[in-house]
Amino acid sequence: MKTKLIIYLALAVTLLASCSKYPPSSARLQEDLAIYTKYDVTINFNDYKTFKVVPAVAYIDGKDSTTLTDANAMALINRINTEMLSRGFVAVTGTAKPDLGINVTAIKSTTTTVYSPGWYWGYPGYYPPSWWGYPGYGYGYPYYPTYVSSYSTGSVIIDMVDFKSPTADHKVMIRWNAYIRGLLTGSHSVSDVLKSVEQAFTQTPTLKTTP
Amino acid sequence: MKKILLIITVLVCLSGMVQSQDQPSSIGFKPSSYYTFSWNTTFTTGDFNKWVGNASPAGFDLGGRYFINGGLCAGFNISWQRVSEAYGYQTYYGDNGTAITATNYRFTWMVPFQAVVAYHFMPEKMISPYVGLGIGGDYMEHHLLVQEYDLYKTRWDFSLTPEVGALMKFGYFSQWGALVAFNYKWTTNKIEFTNNVKSGDLQMLNLKVGLVMIIR
Repeated sequence: MKTKLIIYLALAVTLLASCSKYPPSSARLQEDLAIYTKYDVTINFNDYKTFKVVPAVAYIDGKDSTTLTDANAMALINRINTEMLSRGFVAVTGTAKPDLGINVTAIKSTTTTVYSPGWYWGYPGYYPPSWWGYPGYGYGYPYYPTYVSSYSTGSVIIDMVDFKSPTADHKVMIRWNAYIRGLLTGSHSVSDVLKSVEQAFTQTPTLKTTP
Repeated sequence: MKKILLIITVLVCLSGMVQSQDQPSSIGFKPSSYYTFSWNTTFTTGDFNKWVGNASPAGFDLGGRYFINGGLCAGFNISWQRVSEAYGYQTYYGDNGTAITATNYRFTWMVPFQAVVAYHFMPEKMISPYVGLGIGGDYMEHHLLVQEYDLYKTRWDFSLTPEVGALMKFGYFSQWGALVAFNYKWTTNKIEFTNNVKSGDLQMLNLKVGLVMIIR
């Protein structure tokens, strides 16, 4: 009887120790389409009236980068324009300086797996503050930004820069950023990209102004 | 589902009464104790069902019973259970201006432990139905998985678990048998997350099917 009890207890301990509490399918979550956004809660978007979106999408493929102005890139830029206009902002043209500038980056693939926020700012193709009329300035985050451990294949990043209130130490701050992830996994299309951009704005209801 | 479980219980109890009319009372033996290992299927109810709607077969139960007097026995149960479900794109708002829209997993991992009192009808027979009550607690972890973010809350609780079932020996003098039972667990555990995901007391139905090691 003692032997049977020992076997029973050993079986019990083995089973308890070997069972994982996490559902097996949860491991694939990181590859699913996801939309992250974060905004600076210390500001009021109603204080900003004008905006401008960059005329091209910065495109990073491994260690190479370029800019895109094809139909898909322009559809993405036009979608952002539409969203901003629907929220009461006025688009500026030409050399006029906007209150908010919007940079757009698309990442096809990455060569390393751990990134710090804003690592893509230095790539050619990403519009620096000097392009916006602020030579000598740098970008900065007033909050801990949307951050994940790896920028996976097929991501779009949208940064909204505050050009109305540059800091004394020559920085222009990112007041809102969106990170759309997983667009090249599964069977996602350009339509999915545009719907994701729409969702990014929808989940930030405070991003609006009165003209 | 509840009707099916009720019918199974009635049939098990009736089978015990039928066999007592066919066999002499001298055949068989009353165990001194027995140990069970059961596969446990959980059916969430009420607020728990709103958190995770799927029934879950991911669970097992270990127990022991010691006969005290006649059909009265006391013992223990310890279990491992998990209920989980994936939900399509939902938006979760965190602190400080953060929002995430993604497929998400909700799951609750439970380790119940209980002291049990039960009464066996005709414990010497091949099929012995019983009723019992478990009193104890649970350790629960409620998880919300969104991409690589694992938001979770841990809670201990108090619980009551009335149970009905039957012990079925593989032979009149066999030291092995099978167990079929179901119980209804009421706990003081709750789910509280941001985004107004909250619940009242968690409750569930469990169906146990397993093996029994019988000690004379």
